[in-house]
Amino acid sequence: MRIWRIVLGVLGISAATYGISQLLTHVPVQSLVLLALWLIAALIIHDGLLSPAVVGIGAALRRYVPDRGRRYLQFGLIMAAMVTVIAVPMIYRANTQPPSKALLLQDFGINLTVLLAAIGGVTLAAYAIRVAQDRSVPGPAPPDEAKK
Amino acid sequence: MSGKPAWWPRFSSTLRSTAVTARLGRVLGIAVGTCFLTGLLSYFQYQAWEWLPPPASPVWGYRVTQGVHVATGMATIPLVLVKLWSVYPNHFRWPPFRSVKRVVERLTVALLVSATLVQLITGFFNILNWRPFKWDFVSVHYYLAYVVVGSVLLHIAVKLPDIVYGLQTKIADGDVLTEVPWNENPESHSIAGPLPPPVTPGLSRRGVLTAVSAGIGVVVVTSVGQALTPLEPLGLLAPRQPSKGPLGVPVDKTAEEANVIAAAKAPDWTLQIMGPRPYALTVDEVEEMAVHEARFPMNCGEGWSVDALWRGLRLLEVVERAGGTAGSQIRVRSLEQAGPFNKSVIFGPQLSHALLATHVNGERLTVDHGYPLRLIAPNRACRFDTKWLASIEVLS
Repeated sequence: MRIWRIVLGVLGISAATYGISQLLTHVPVQSLVLLALWLIAALIIHDGLLSPAVVGIGAALRRYVPDRGRRYLQFGLIMAAMVTVIAVPMIYRANTQPPSKALLLQDFGINLTVLLAAIGGVTLAAYAIRVAQDRSVPGPAPPDEAKK
Repeated sequence: MSGKPAWWPRFSSTLRSTAVTARLGRVLGIAVGTCFLTGLLSYFQYQAWEWLPPPASPVWGYRVTQGVHVATGMATIPLVLVKLWSVYPNHFRWPPFRSVKRVVERLTVALLVSATLVQLITGFFNILNWRPFKWDFVSVHYYLAYVVVGSVLLHIAVKLPDIVYGLQTKIADGDVLTEVPWNENPESHSIAGPLPPPVTPGLSRRGVLTAVSAGIGVVVVTSVGQALTPLEPLGLLAPRQPSKGPLGVPVDKTAEEANVIAAAKAPDWTLQIMGPRPYALTVDEVEEMAVHEARFPMNCGEGWSVDALWRGLRLLEVVERAGGTAGSQIRVRSLEQAGPFNKSVIFGPQLSHALLATHVNGERLTVDHGYPLRLIAPNRACRFDTKWLASIEVLS
């Protein structure tokens, strides 16, 4: 393992150093300043806003949603978030381009709604099946009902 | 561990584990590698070496590699966010600056995360023709790619023991990843010995991976139709819809954007062919000579592509009449006055297969498609299928 770590480390440092040196020599200072701002902003927005929000939502779900239902809710929310991240910039940019580009002509708000509805529908159906199965099987009450 | 203030964040979700992170990271690593290699192939289109001409076959080569590049890049955006979620508690180890080594490691991770996020986001914005970053996309995307790949490799080197542990451990059994590192956590397997797997009362860890796979699947299936024509009707998240372009082909840059409408429509337009035996062709002569047909896709750097039937003159015949050969270097120039893509160089196999097109899909080119005459060649990035041709030079 040691040799692999050294090889990977040397390769990695070389590639990153090459990239940084090329940036510094080929990109105008004004652009470099902007790039640096974007790099810092990406960290602040991700680690300072997005991640705490996700952690907060996770904690709230754990506190307020019973285990059995939470399983399905979490599954649906993960998928929904992944799709939303891609859709939002396109919603914002829709219909900004000349029509002959055939670019961003769709109503991505509706498209996102369709996708979220599909994800929600499938998740809900899976949950309903689970609830029905739990009811038909005699035994200890499922966690949702136990909490009530 | 000791002296940690009461307000210091504590992470209790049992979903997070190195066993989960390593599996997400494995896919992410493959995705980054795929983007890097297909990206290098794309830059080869932009700056081919003279001794290695870009091939003309397979005609769908760039269509596939760039389609994969963009689809993978788009899918990597949500993937990287999930991967970072899985390691978020690592920010909150106590004490925060325990050693120089630790600080250096955190700084390289900061570089890795910020470079990767900026690379993915600007790449995505660029395919939306949205450039709020004011820098030159092509060069910065290229150089930053080395920073991303380099810091990924370094990260793998640093984390290799964790990766090996994560991948060798059953996903349900892996230690919970919290703000306390495993070697200080009395509840970790390596300290406490064999333990029952941590309880995940809601979604299981495997469920997280299944949800992520499904999410990536939805993103890919609903966006890749911009290159994979049969999936276009499913393209709810596809930026381009090739079938909605004029004559069934979208336009990369419009005549208005290039400021060439008047020049392109001028009745006295001629094509100047410069070489040992220079000559010129009028619109009528060009249309008379346009009898050759070829079917190959238009493939663009923004990841979309579409098959089309082209009709026009064989570039090689035009070049040979001016005294050039199949071994010549040819530069074509556009009526467009400025900009990095108002000319292109074509040589090697692409020269032999290229058309100077007057028609696409059976119709005379529209001005947005390059009327009166455009270059089109197989396996060539559409930026270099120069439109609104003004001249052709035999360089050697």
